[in-house]
Amino acid sequence: MNSEPLLSYRVSAEYRGKGAVLRDVQFEIGQGEIVGLVGRSGEGKSTIASSILGLLPLKGGKCTGWIHFQGRDLLSLRDGEMRRVRGKAIGFVPQSPLAALNPNLRLRAQLDEAWRAHQEGSPDWKPLLQSVSLPDEVSFLRQYPRSLSVGLAQRFQIALAILHRPALLLADEPTSALDSVTQGEILSLFANLNRRYGIAILYISHDLASVASLCHRVAILHQGTIVECGLAEEIFARPQHEYTRRLIAAIPNVPGRSNLDAGGPSSDESRARGILAEHGV
Amino acid sequence: MKAARIGAILLLALVAAGALMPERWAAGRYDQQFRELPDAPPSAQFPLGTDAVGRDRLSRLLYGTRVSLLLAPAAALLSCLAAGLLGGIAGYAGGFTDRAIVSAADFFLSVPWLLLLLIVRACLPLDVSPAASVAITFALLGLMGWAAPARIVRAAVASLMDSEFVLMARARGYSSWRVLLRQLLPNVTPVLLAQFWIAVPAYILTETTLGMLGLGVAEPLPSWGGLLRELEGVSPLDQPYLLAPAILLAAVVGSLQLILPREDYPV
Ligand SMILES: Nc1ncnc2c1ncn2[C@@H]1O[C@H](COP(=O)(O)OP(=O)(O)OP(=O)(O)O)[C@@H](O)[C@H]1O
Ligand SMILES: [Mg+2]
Repeated sequence: MNSEPLLSYRVSAEYRGKGAVLRDVQFEIGQGEIVGLVGRSGEGKSTIASSILGLLPLKGGKCTGWIHFQGRDLLSLRDGEMRRVRGKAIGFVPQSPLAALNPNLRLRAQLDEAWRAHQEGSPDWKPLLQSVSLPDEVSFLRQYPRSLSVGLAQRFQIALAILHRPALLLADEPTSALDSVTQGEILSLFANLNRRYGIAILYISHDLASVASLCHRVAILHQGTIVECGLAEEIFARPQHEYTRRLIAAIPNVPGRSNLDAGGPSSDESRARGILAEHGV
Repeated sequence: MKAARIGAILLLALVAAGALMPERWAAGRYDQQFRELPDAPPSAQFPLGTDAVGRDRLSRLLYGTRVSLLLAPAAALLSCLAAGLLGGIAGYAGGFTDRAIVSAADFFLSVPWLLLLLIVRACLPLDVSPAASVAITFALLGLMGWAAPARIVRAAVASLMDSEFVLMARARGYSSWRVLLRQLLPNVTPVLLAQFWIAVPAYILTETTLGMLGLGVAEPLPSWGGLLRELEGVSPLDQPYLLAPAILLAAVVGSLQLILPREDYPV
């Protein structure tokens, strides 16, 4: 791994008429690293993703600070320069894959559009579709989004996100709309893309089990600040912050796994260990 | 239902054929006067009789159909283009532009146009050339009708601008033009098309109303509204053939309503 981090983030953000949502949030993502960003609903996880893409103004928000990425401060880029970063150097995988596809364009057209946003001609779609385990047939691309299942749509979204081989992938709760089997498939797809192409991933989730199985490092977001950040094993084994402990304690018990008493750091620890072991971390 | 639709299509085709080739069916041009035969009852030569100055009614009806059926879709096209442009700008730009355009549309919708037209017309000289009257009617229909569809287009565009996939297009680095042409337009077109199909029969009826009030297409050019003026002061029981334009109007508008695309447009 390179010593210089791929992304170095330090931002405060607020929405119009809402007040501060992020208070001096700091974290780094190394080259080819998968970082999990965890927090309950409304803690500001999506706000972080939007700020990296420079899309906060569209939602009526603004941010101050810096976001160093590939030797530049994204927050000081002009609109045209930022547009060339979006989708090209930084890919984005949304939470609701179907809603994030244009209902009146065939998949082929959406693929071409995503390509032409940054390059001439048309993309080499066969290997692309293969790399996300989608059928590499013309008939698949002739479909409209409405005939896709959520799982297929999310694979297609991932294909669009890695189209230009970005250095960083932002995945904002990419599995929360999926059933648990499909969730597992998408998670291993992320791990695969990370291994094969060295794409770094910011994996945003409130699902600790999936974070434990996928991420190298984890940052815990609470009330607009990062309360804890470290290697995934260590955070799950020895959570330092009260909020982290509560999150880990809230992971639902699976019948058959030994969980003797609720509450207390030691039982949290064993529970997290169980999860980590189950996911092969 | 299916039989009714087929019947409607056949009827419209028949009307179109009649309107396209009036000379094949009728005794003379719409303005040709058979001076020796004014106010003639129906006969083999003149199936609907002749009017007060001896013009063949069937010929006038067929030519009038042509005028009415060309005017309405053309005006509907005009108002839909205006609605697409203004409503699109309002929904896309938001803010002050949006409020200004919506206020203008609300104002347009609240004006009693017919009354205003009658007043304006009363102040102007009565003799307008037929070509000018067609142009005026076209402009009136087209410009008066932009407001309602513009508000619908505006609402559609505004909700599209907030939609996930447009935000996603931004996140993928699409330029504003690409967002406009490739993301918004394909989703607004069905909305506009539906508005167009709603406007056509409505404009046919409005044109007829204007014609009956003497505000529409001017003599000697015939239109359905103008032809219906003949009913003034006579009993249709005595001369039932004078009802032909009204029957044709009802049949055509009814048929259009039957065959209009009814699917909900996806937004
Ligand atoms: N456009 C907006 N305008 C005003 N406030 C907003 C806006 N978007 C989000 N917020 C607020 O900012 C806070 C953080 O929102 P954000 O969407 O980043 O949370 P999140 O962690 O992604 O939540 P979730 O898990 O529900 O996606 C929330 O309290 C939310 O109400
Ligand atoms: Mg979110």
